[in-house]
Amino acid sequence: MDKQVFNIKNLDLYYGKFQALKNINLTIEKNKVTALIGPSGCGKSTFIRVLNRMNDLIEECRIVGDVHFHQDDIYHEKFDVIDLRTRVGMVFQKPNPFPMSIYDNVAYGPRCQGIKDKAELDEIVDKALKSAALYEEVNERMKESAMDLSGGQQQRLCIARAIAMNPEVILMDEPTSALDPIATLKIEELINDLKEQYTIVIVTHSMQQAARISDTTAFFLMGELIETDNTDKIFTQPKMKETEDYITGRFG
Amino acid sequence: MSMSNKRKAIDIAYQAITYLASSVSLLALSMIVYFVWSNGSGLLNMDLLTKDYHAKYYNGEMVEVGDYSTTLRPSDLDDDIYYSEQYGIGLSDAKDREGNPIILVEYIASDSPMLKLADRNSEDIIALEEGMLISKVAFFDKATALRTFGAEYMVNELDSATDFREIVFTSLGGGIRGSIITTLYLIGMTMAMALPIGVFTAIYLNEFAKKNRITSTLRTLIDTLTGVPSIIYGLMGLAVFVPLTISVTPATSGNLISGSLTLAVILLPVIIKSTEESLKVVPDGLRQASLALGANETQTTFKVVLPSSIPGILTASLLGIGRVIGESAALIFAIGTAVKDDISIFGKSTSLAVHIWSMMTDEPANIELSSTIAIIILMIVLVLNITVKLLSKKFMKPMQ
Repeated sequence: MDKQVFNIKNLDLYYGKFQALKNINLTIEKNKVTALIGPSGCGKSTFIRVLNRMNDLIEECRIVGDVHFHQDDIYHEKFDVIDLRTRVGMVFQKPNPFPMSIYDNVAYGPRCQGIKDKAELDEIVDKALKSAALYEEVNERMKESAMDLSGGQQQRLCIARAIAMNPEVILMDEPTSALDPIATLKIEELINDLKEQYTIVIVTHSMQQAARISDTTAFFLMGELIETDNTDKIFTQPKMKETEDYITGRFG
Repeated sequence: MSMSNKRKAIDIAYQAITYLASSVSLLALSMIVYFVWSNGSGLLNMDLLTKDYHAKYYNGEMVEVGDYSTTLRPSDLDDDIYYSEQYGIGLSDAKDREGNPIILVEYIASDSPMLKLADRNSEDIIALEEGMLISKVAFFDKATALRTFGAEYMVNELDSATDFREIVFTSLGGGIRGSIITTLYLIGMTMAMALPIGVFTAIYLNEFAKKNRITSTLRTLIDTLTGVPSIIYGLMGLAVFVPLTISVTPATSGNLISGSLTLAVILLPVIIKSTEESLKVVPDGLRQASLALGANETQTTFKVVLPSSIPGILTASLLGIGRVIGESAALIFAIGTAVKDDISIFGKSTSLAVHIWSMMTDEPANIELSSTIAIIILMIVLVLNITVKLLSKKFMKPMQ
């Protein structure tokens, strides 16, 4: 019924006097993978952080326009940002597990929401690790420090940590840029599995990655959304000249 | 060729400077250790650590006349020790620090009546111990044996009398037990006050405070406080904390509470600064990850940021304890310089560092005991350092 998860209209974003996003209009559809591509500094990472209000942490950041999550205006002053972040998870560029055990990492989010029951937490952690394709590798050493895992495992742990909150949307900000090709492949396979249950928005530097995993691609340039369409279309018959130049490698 | 030779020469010169600088600092440290060790190691023993500073006077008499010792003079007793067979005690002549003659108790037989004497000032039973000094023995029917007459005279007088009226003897004194206990009290009470306040202030400044003029003014003030000479804090202690503690506690003068309060104020900027430094190096990615999981700021701070900065907070505590042990100027005002054996938090007493100050301002200055105390302080600081290193290692492990 409600196919649109996010609906962004006329979004402008400023860092102090600098305008980082200019008049963005975009809808994010349910159970689809939406890839945001574009050269460095084009605003794609800034944009993804609009969706769970992580830009709130930047003091000089100012936002104009509408960002609707289902029916709610998430920048309305009465909107509960904690609630938003429990429903919209995020995975960062650099794997950032907490310096605690693997189990505690995954249980962190649910615990912050007040879940204390051991059996319930065990179930959530197991399920999240299985969904993130990490369970087989770590179920013997749940109490060990997450810092001892490899980079790829750490990133999948971060995905499991986000899944443990049972979100609707998972935002991924260049999740494979710090990983080797094999670890990258695993994450891409994982994203393919996850889109049945979750809506995924991914920022990526790699056009091949966008082509491989996404259903919809949005091309950003200099803070503007140049073009958005089905991924196949963007990569085969882009409407705009800038898009074509970028995907054929003429700049960026 | 000349180019590379020139560069080599410059490299060697730079390296030589670093070697020279390290040697100078090593030399300075070795000199301090050598000085205190050569002066103070002679006095270093367990008695010093456990004994009272002030000599205690005892005034005893026989409990039961005729209950004499039957132990003969032990063969291993030195020739200069005079032995009273009737009372089973061995005495020798010695000189105190000012050169006055004293009589030292060298040996007491296990059946000596001197081991259970009636205290003439109370109902208690008191005992003469090896290492004590006898001032005089007074008799009923003949002249008193004073210490100035020597050990041989006193032993002869004792053995030729069936009973004596009183024996006056003193413990040796000079121990630093009281100052050690005072120092421990000061460490405990000061840290209990300064550590939580300092850590929470640092958390506020680094995690919650908005970047505005009030915050930056507060920071500047804290930075300035770090550089204020401790004697000024001492003045504040004397002017504020001493009257305050006198009015709300049984204290009547400078006391351990006013001293701890003063030290806590001295420590606050130190603890705030180093805790803040350790909070700053916690990666921002961890805060963002926590917030993105729907944790609020408080949860993020206390579940993720604070545990990650524990090594830094431990270092801050070490710096704090080191400062408490080393502080003298502020305490001279805030507690006073009276060396005490019975420690009460409402009374005057002296930390180890101020004990040194007291010894060195005595006439004549007691360099030997001061150096011994210095050795003890250095050893405590060394142990603290090693402890914190080990603890940090333990806590750092999951961070890597």
